This record gives sequence, structure tokens and C-alpha cells, in this order.
Amino acid sequence: MIVWKRACRSARPSTRPLSSRRCLSQRTLDGLERPVQSYISTSRDPYLNLSIEHFLLQKSAPESTILFLYINRPSIILGRNQNPWLEVNLALLNASGHDELETEPPGLGIVDLVRRRSGGGTVFHDEGNVNWTVICPSKDFTRDKHAEMVVRALRTCSVDRARVNVRHDIVLDQGEHALCTDPEDTHSTPYQLAEADAIRPLKVSGSAYKLTRQRALHHGTCLLSSPNLNIIPDYLHSPAKPYMTARGVESVSSPVGNILLTNERFIAAVQEQFAKLYGAVDDAKDVGDEWREHSPVCKGYDELKVTDLPTTI
Amino acid sequence: MSAAIAQSGVAAARALQGPARGIARCSRQQYLRLRAQQQPFRPAVRSFSAGARVWEKRYTEDHEWIDTSDPESASIGISTYAAKALGDVVYVELPTEGTEVNKGDAIGAVESVKSASDIMTPVSGTILEVNSVLEDKPGTINSSPEGDGWLAKIKISSAQELDALMDAEGYRKFTEETDKK
Repeated sequence: MIVWKRACRSARPSTRPLSSRRCLSQRTLDGLERPVQSYISTSRDPYLNLSIEHFLLQKSAPESTILFLYINRPSIILGRNQNPWLEVNLALLNASGHDELETEPPGLGIVDLVRRRSGGGTVFHDEGNVNWTVICPSKDFTRDKHAEMVVRALRTCSVDRARVNVRHDIVLDQGEHALCTDPEDTHSTPYQLAEADAIRPLKVSGSAYKLTRQRALHHGTCLLSSPNLNIIPDYLHSPAKPYMTARGVESVSSPVGNILLTNERFIAAVQEQFAKLYGAVDDAKDVGDEWREHSPVCKGYDELKVTDLPTTI
Repeated sequence: MSAAIAQSGVAAARALQGPARGIARCSRQQYLRLRAQQQPFRPAVRSFSAGARVWEKRYTEDHEWIDTSDPESASIGISTYAAKALGDVVYVELPTEGTEVNKGDAIGAVESVKSASDIMTPVSGTILEVNSVLEDKPGTINSSPEGDGWLAKIKISSAQELDALMDAEGYRKFTEETDKK
């Protein structure tokens, strides 16, 4: 296994020790105490976005509730306890280094491989996918609460086929309009088919969770307009899997589809539903590369970079 | 347990009455002398120190337990209540042997239903041993959370910390209160 380290570089040289460097304004840090907070990332770096998410989980006021939205460049996000050798086609990740592949690799270039801190399975992120995170006090947490919030957001955008399934994921039902269901019920739609039917619903959002003593984090993907749906299965299929016995949590595969909304429309709808659920909230605050200089975020960034994940095989 | 104590008291009272009926026909002086010779009734005192192992387990509000029968090597784990709430456990992250920890530190995590849940240590000390059975059989936490599903053994550094923890009865009431909320 190859392990590599990248030291966190600041924008300008500083003689102060890393632990005392604080590049976020006092106003931003005070904002972490507000009861309801909303953030949106301007960065496409998956390491930075996951580090900011972890920083918000650890440093926000224990009674606060936070919405964080971010989009990553093409990357594969592994669950905390998964084995990359079983989940990912590692040869495709850094395809420019391999001349002997039998078929033309997808033209995505370098795809990052990142291990997140929450449980669950492997997902593919790209710029047609918006990630949403809600952090709340443990005592207010349920696994469906915020998936239901996102389904309500989708339904305000006329995506009536969306519902929360038993695995706390969001799916689009594929049947004809045949049933009479309560429009307020986010767990059923008029297009729902019986379990035994051949046409499975399309998964558009997967959920994962990280639960600490006082705080609960629920994050999920949302496939809106990914251009890569045809090649995602190639990345998320490991040719080594039949030949290996290993420990690790296995992914549960599902057929996926695009919702076909713009990122901006989805983001606005989720922010509106979040405000409806938790009361008035300030405009979403931009977070980006400047947060990388803040020492707890930088530390989390380095932790994600220094991993046991293979970068080449 | 309290019903058994009450029944033994009634039997002793009857035994005291038996001889008294036999001496009803003798003189008053003889009666008083005989009565003074009889042992007064004292109900049996049950020794709680000889009770079951459940008395040695202490619990935290975060639903961890610690078995304090041996402070040099105390087992810790999560309670049956927590194991039921978590659902099927698919992966357990264990601490490293030799790590020094403070009360409340996250020493590992358990994954169930796509959730990575932190496990906190109930006391400060040094991790001596971890339960490697959980690496291959994480479901042991569900089948025996307070027995074979122990997570780690810790050498307790500060016995006073145990006083703040709940005993089994206190924890049972705490979970009932939690369920009502």
C-alpha cells in the first residue's frame, strides 16, 4: 500500500505555530454559536468539503442545527469501514498511468478516492450531484427526518415521483399514476409499484450518518444531472472482488437515475424547506478555500489525505 | 425477593406461639420464666454482598456499561438498550491496546444502518485488551451486548469516577424515563 502525505501550506509564510493560526474571522467563528446556520461551499475539492463538514460537526454549538451544501469534482467517496479493493475499480482511477488496459478508459481524468467519516456504502460524486448535510443535536435526530425534508424540496420542484424508502434513501418511482396517496406522505407516491415488480425505483439520493455524543450528522447525495451515469457502474465495480475474502462493510447496489433539475433550483428548494422546518435563518454563508487555512480544518484535511487508500496499483 | 422475607417471618411467629399454648396451664411464674428463655424472633438478614454479578455492573447515560469486579481489568461495552436501538451491527472499530484514555473520550465506533456511532469510555485508564471476536463477528454485540459482546478491558486509573455511574436499577429507571420522552 502506498501512503503519502501532503503538508498543509498557508497562503503566506508565518512564524506563528500552526495551532494558533486562525484564518477565519471572529465573526465567522461567532456564527458557529447561532441556533440555525446555513452554509454553501464554493470549492469543488472533496477533501476540503468533507473537512469543513467535520469541522462544523465538531465545533458548532451543541444545540445548533446546520445545513451545509456542497458539490465535488469527480470523486469516489468510500464509507468509513469499507474496503476499496472490494468496492472500486482501482485501475480506472488513475487511468493515465496505465497503458495496458484492454478498453479505452472513461475520459474523466484523475478521479479522487476519499474515505469519509460516516458509515454506509460507496458513491460517485461529480458536478451534476449536489451533496446536502444536516447537523443537529442527538436528541432531535431520526434517520428519516432530513431525507423527508429533501423529498418535500423535490416535490416543490414538481418531482412527484420522489419518496423516502426503507433504507432512508430517496428514490423515484417508475410506475404509472395508479394509486391514491396522501401528498404530505413523503414515504409513498402514486407511482409506486409493488416490491415484486420487475421495474425497480431509481435511486437518486443515498444517506449516511455520523453520530457522536451530542451531535448527529446526516448527509446525502442528490443526482440531478450527472453526465457520468453510464460509467459510474464501471468505477464502482471491482474486478478483484470474486477473488478476495476481506473484512469491510459492503455496498448495496441500486439502479440510479438523474432527477433532471438544475443545481441552483435544487439548492434553493432545500434551503427553503430547511428554513421552514427550523425557522428563519440568515442567508447561506459561502465557505471555500480560505477555510483550509484554519487549523482544525487543515488538520482534518490532512487526516483525509493521509490514509491507507491505494493511489495506484 | 421481599415476598420471601415476609413468609419466613410468619413461620417464626407460629413457632413462638406453639410452646406458649403448651404452657398455658402452668403457673404465671413458670410461664414468665419459660417465655424469657425463648429466643426472641429476629427476621433473617439477607446479605447483599453475596448477590448476583449484576450489582458489579455500572452504567453511563450514554448507554455504556463497565464491569467493576476487577478494577485492574474492567470490561466495558454497550448496554442491551443501546444494542437494540442501534440495529444490526455490521462493523466494530476497537481501540488500540495500550492507549491512555480519559472518561468520555471516544474509544471506538460501531456501524449499523449506515451510521457510524461513537463509543465513549465510562472511566479514565489504559486499554489493556480488545475483543477481537468482534472483528469477525460484529453481530455478537447484538446477540450478547452485556456478555460476549464486551468491547475492551481497561485498567481504571481513578476509582472515584465509578461513583458517578448508575447501578443496574438506576440505569433501568433512566431508560424508562428516556423512553417516555
